[in-house]
Amino acid sequence: MMLQKLKQWFQAAPSLRRRLMLFLLAAVSFAALAQGLSSYRTALQEADEIFDYQMQQTAMAMTGGSYPQGLPQELELVIQAWTPEGLQVFRSGVQLPQRAVLGFTNVEAEGRHYRVLSVQRGGQVLQLAQDLAVRQRLAGRLALRTIMPIAIMLPVLMLVVGWVVSRSLAPVERVRRQLAARAADDLAPVQETGLPVEIRPMVGELNSLLGRVQRSYQAQQHFVADAAHELRSPLTALKLQVQALQRAGDEEGRTLAQTRLAAGIERAGHLVEQLLLLARQEAAGDELQPVALDALLRQVMGEQAAAAHARQIDLGLLRADAGNIRGNGDALALLLRNVLGNAIKYTPVGGKVDVSLLYEGSTLRLRVEDSGPGIAPSERERVFDRFYRSPETQGAGGSGLGLAIVHAVAVRHGASIHLDRSVALGGLQFDLCFTKV
Amino acid sequence: MRILLVEDDQMIGEPLLDLLRAEGYAVDWVRDGELADTALQSQSYDLALLDLGLPKRDGLSVLSALRARKQRLPVLIATARDALAQRIEGLDAGADDYVLKPFELDELLARIRALLRRASGRAEPVYEHLGVSINPATHEATVDGRPVSLSAREWAVLEPLLARPGLVLSRQQLEEKLYGWNDEISSNAVEVYVHGLRKKLGADLIQNVRGLGYRVPKQ
Repeated sequence: MMLQKLKQWFQAAPSLRRRLMLFLLAAVSFAALAQGLSSYRTALQEADEIFDYQMQQTAMAMTGGSYPQGLPQELELVIQAWTPEGLQVFRSGVQLPQRAVLGFTNVEAEGRHYRVLSVQRGGQVLQLAQDLAVRQRLAGRLALRTIMPIAIMLPVLMLVVGWVVSRSLAPVERVRRQLAARAADDLAPVQETGLPVEIRPMVGELNSLLGRVQRSYQAQQHFVADAAHELRSPLTALKLQVQALQRAGDEEGRTLAQTRLAAGIERAGHLVEQLLLLARQEAAGDELQPVALDALLRQVMGEQAAAAHARQIDLGLLRADAGNIRGNGDALALLLRNVLGNAIKYTPVGGKVDVSLLYEGSTLRLRVEDSGPGIAPSERERVFDRFYRSPETQGAGGSGLGLAIVHAVAVRHGASIHLDRSVALGGLQFDLCFTKV
Repeated sequence: MRILLVEDDQMIGEPLLDLLRAEGYAVDWVRDGELADTALQSQSYDLALLDLGLPKRDGLSVLSALRARKQRLPVLIATARDALAQRIEGLDAGADDYVLKPFELDELLARIRALLRRASGRAEPVYEHLGVSINPATHEATVDGRPVSLSAREWAVLEPLLARPGLVLSRQQLEEKLYGWNDEISSNAVEVYVHGLRKKLGADLIQNVRGLGYRVPKQ
């Protein structure tokens, strides 16, 4: 019951200090107890030897008929004498049973234990008895004297231990105060100097976690700032289009304004949709399953056929090796849609887009080539940045997010992207290399 | 008044062009920095409405080149670049005003009027001269307190003349205030509008300086 309560108390708030103090208290008390017990036993043994010797000496000193009177009081000796006939001739103290056995024995009389020495002296049997309590009292006193210093030192020891533990845990308290005083967005590392080696690795890990959180927090903040910035243009367009609609003087003007407004809403909607897609890809977990990339590619190419046809672009699949990769089907479809959509969008009317999917050793390579303007080598890194639009395509109405989404999906699948100039078609050559299952 | 609109975003440029024209301004619209620079060097404008994030050449560079040529026309920056440092940079590069997208159209128009007013050396929002009073903000005109209705084109001819009484504006200069690049110009349009204005405002207000053009007398 008591133990259970103690256990609950520990589990409710495991405190190092409390635990240390308690275990130390228990250990010191146990040691003191053991020492006391051991010295009690030793003292008792020694007292036995001394008192037995004293009893023997006393017995030797008693010659027939003469009984010592001036015995030391604290010995509490009981003396009895019998004639060989069994007649008691002398008795001091309690009545002890007559013993025929000579030498030392322990007997019980009137509820007390006695050490009895029987000797024969001048035809009489002398019995000397001593209450064992005397010896125990003496041994107890000795044992207590051994324990006493420890008992007195115990509270002092506790205070010292408490102080040392507090001192040792002070850096932990300092770290706690530092963390408690922080603003929500303060993710700077906690100071590690002066921390005990037992705690430093933990704080080190905490700092490394803070660093990771900091980076992702900053990325998120940039994303939000970028998004807010990018929403300004479509919003401006919408506002102006609404104004134009309100001020349109005639039916023709109204129809034009309405068409423009609808297109503006469409574009704002598209941007928001792309933003959501990107945010989802960047935050996505890793639930990857085997995906048949060739089948997915055929499906997405089918979807894009109409857009290609509308721009009179010759969209063709050169080769598609059957191949599974570990991935997320929806995300991969999004990636393919963006890559193919970009190729179709930026290739001039009447151009050509070639797609191939083939094994190269342990990688599965998706290649999309077009006869468009391509991307200058200096821009090939930057095109994957969010909201980046190359000076040539600026104003084309793109959200600037398509390739950022492609990049996010590729990173999620551990795929590498390589941009180059297409040898066959002269435009952009987009390579995406997956590791096959 | 002739305005150069520099805006790469078609969805913003199209309605803005129409709305500015509806206000009676002659507007030219260019969609990149190079073209903006060319237009500013080859044509005289009363004001430029400048976006900063432009293809081919940044708006700030266009602005700096403009001021380096000592061209004094008011420049109003309309951009999505909202950071304080960017706003300061824009103004220090020579812009007269800075509005953030998405802006309110009415505010933009008021700022344009304010800049045009200042550029003509005035502070008062209403032109009053020889009994004729016109208010660019409301497009209301009165002669001796009596309201007169003016067409947008008549307005476009009258405003630059009233803005600087005594100054002679040639027929070509007035045509420039009337038409953007893509507008068809009829050869005697200015004469037609001046004729109409004289009928509405009195024959003496706009004087013909033979061989030079038109002016509103100082007194």
